[in-house]
Amino acid sequence: MPVRGRPQSVRGKSAAMIDQPPDDPVFLHARREAIVILLLWGAAFGWTVTYCTLYGYSTLESPMSAAEVPLTLGMPSWVVWGVAFPWLVCMVVSIWLALFFIQDDDLNSSSDLASEESND
Amino acid sequence: MDFSLLLAAGGSNAAIWTFLFYTIAVFVIAGFANRLLKGKDFLGEYFLGSRGLGTWAFALTFAATSASGGTFTGFPAKIYTHGWILALWIASYMIVPICTMGLFGKRINQVARKSNSITIPDVLRDRFESPVFGIVSTLLIVFFLAVNLVAQFKAGSVILQSLVQDVGIYQSGVQWVAQRTADVGFLAGVQPGYLLCLILFGLAVILYTSYGGFHAVVWTDVMQGVVMVAGVAIMLPLAISQVGGMSAGTRAMSPNILLTLSPPTVLPAFQEKLPIVIVDEVGAPGRCFISNSTFPKGVVSQTPFTVQVVEMDDSLHGVANARNRVIETPNFIRLSPETGWSVVSRREVPFGFVTGPGPSRDDVNGFLPFSLAISFFFMWAISGTGQPQYMVRLMAFKDTRTLRHAIVAVTIYSAVIYFPLVIIFCMARVLLPGMENEADKIMPTMAVTLTENAGVPWLAGLLIAAPFAAVMSTVDSFLLVISSSVVRDIYQRNINPAASEKVIKRMSYFTTLVVGTVAMVFAMNPPQYLQDLIVYVGSGLACCFLFPVAAMLYWPRANSPGCLGGMLVGFGAHLAPHLMAKFEGGSFAKPVDLFGLSPLMAGFAASLIATLFLTLLTPPPAEHLVRKYFYKES
Repeated sequence: MPVRGRPQSVRGKSAAMIDQPPDDPVFLHARREAIVILLLWGAAFGWTVTYCTLYGYSTLESPMSAAEVPLTLGMPSWVVWGVAFPWLVCMVVSIWLALFFIQDDDLNSSSDLASEESND
Repeated sequence: MDFSLLLAAGGSNAAIWTFLFYTIAVFVIAGFANRLLKGKDFLGEYFLGSRGLGTWAFALTFAATSASGGTFTGFPAKIYTHGWILALWIASYMIVPICTMGLFGKRINQVARKSNSITIPDVLRDRFESPVFGIVSTLLIVFFLAVNLVAQFKAGSVILQSLVQDVGIYQSGVQWVAQRTADVGFLAGVQPGYLLCLILFGLAVILYTSYGGFHAVVWTDVMQGVVMVAGVAIMLPLAISQVGGMSAGTRAMSPNILLTLSPPTVLPAFQEKLPIVIVDEVGAPGRCFISNSTFPKGVVSQTPFTVQVVEMDDSLHGVANARNRVIETPNFIRLSPETGWSVVSRREVPFGFVTGPGPSRDDVNGFLPFSLAISFFFMWAISGTGQPQYMVRLMAFKDTRTLRHAIVAVTIYSAVIYFPLVIIFCMARVLLPGMENEADKIMPTMAVTLTENAGVPWLAGLLIAAPFAAVMSTVDSFLLVISSSVVRDIYQRNINPAASEKVIKRMSYFTTLVVGTVAMVFAMNPPQYLQDLIVYVGSGLACCFLFPVAAMLYWPRANSPGCLGGMLVGFGAHLAPHLMAKFEGGSFAKPVDLFGLSPLMAGFAASLIATLFLTLLTPPPAEHLVRKYFYKES
């Protein structure tokens, strides 16, 4: 029988759905983690594209020569603050997310290949 | 590419030995991998390694698969040609590892286990109980990846050719091939050397992949991933130190001057003792080109050499100490007996090598206008997440702990590969100026130059092995994804569901061999705009798979009509700008831009809208499917 609309337990618990099994924790954890990762992508996108556009682009109206571009650590400053710096931040945040935010879950089910293997 | 000529200049055959070592090593690995097939479920082991990959194997196979031949050939050439703006072009790699592994990884692995799937079409078919979905997605994967496979085979052959072309046995082989293929119409326009290397490279990859299956691919990827990191780690400090520090290098990058080289002309001056005075620059006061090398009269140099562009009156200063002068005076070109000399036209452009949008020969708006910068941030991180060849690797890790640790490893791996490459090849503009006409040779030329200057020419072999490793690791992965789609999704699930394991085993070996051989045959006469087709394939796959797979994993309301519709609409919307360009009399490879954005953006938007609306307009999925994939098993 088809499910009408969005399953109720996904929206929130309901007395009418008392026999509904609990949500799959792997689904809930993975969804929460995906949202946080998308937010990180959005932050990286916003910072990098905005900063580089504001400080790294030469235009026909106001062209910049190499001599006018300020350097930081030997690189153009817009590369350091627009790309290298957020890259470092993203690296640290990604590692933190992987080690401390993403949860360990049990992915196995009765039909996985490992169990088939042991039955052979 | 004449890598071997370059290596010969350094007195080293290290690259040839590296290739031989590689070939032997991958066959040994394939032998071990084949032994693992015994006593296990054949399909699961052959195509997915029994979902048993540990952290390092999973991390390095994921990273090595994403680094294709383009990473070490096309990307360095782009950096050399357009300068520091490539840092922004590649910037979304800061977020690629966590996106491509973290967005879908845990969930797709779980769903694949629940449905006992070993391919992406397998997952889609079982998740929606729709054989049509399985077949359509299989056909799309086979179409896109087969085109890409042809391109990678071509790249592999070109690199191998450059490694061995100075070896006597290779030259004899070329003559033998030339004699045998002279009367074969199909091979009329194919260079014998290219053909020989294509067959050697193709057979090596096809055989080890066919024999060893997934584990052979993964273990060779691990080896190849290590080689790539080592190559970059060695080149970075050498490049920075040899330009006199990064500040000196960046300052020396030609300020807003674009050199355009004419088609090469044979160089009569090679017959004379140096210094040689060659030609005036087009549209400029008289200048002459003076070599920093000396050759006896009548002897033609076998290696390219650098010449300095000086004013006529200053010509006597050019001969001595040319290498040091390179940094001070950026207007150099390289000449070789093969390419002859080119007339240089030198024009000032509004966009230099240290600012955006970067200089471009063809586009007055520069290389990377603002709108394209946005597209490329989507391109690598988001489109990478939608590639089936990466998704299938996400189905292979052992547990979530492995996934978490692999994200850490790939995050560090990407940071030490991609950003340093930008620095290295920006410095190459200073160390090796004037290679605009042969930018695709910049990687091997730089490897030889850096190691020679550092007094360790034997290291060039390891550095040049990096692009070879990248191509090999991509080809073997694509090969296995295509053959698994054919065997599992077409043969076993639609033609012969009752096939015995023995039949499946033979089919798997046979299909991998056939797919590889067919791709190799097409690579003998590859299409003209191959690099553009690779871009078309990468973005096309993402437009087809990203949103349907996301909905399948995270949206309980998702159903077959919505996701299948989103897949087909994404395919069509991405294809349309290419077809429009063709109908307007342009090239399929140069699609019509919509508001300056790439077709990828149109494909994404159309696929997302179609998936959402078609899903809501059609009946919801069966309850047992929602219960199976979104609720805890009782």
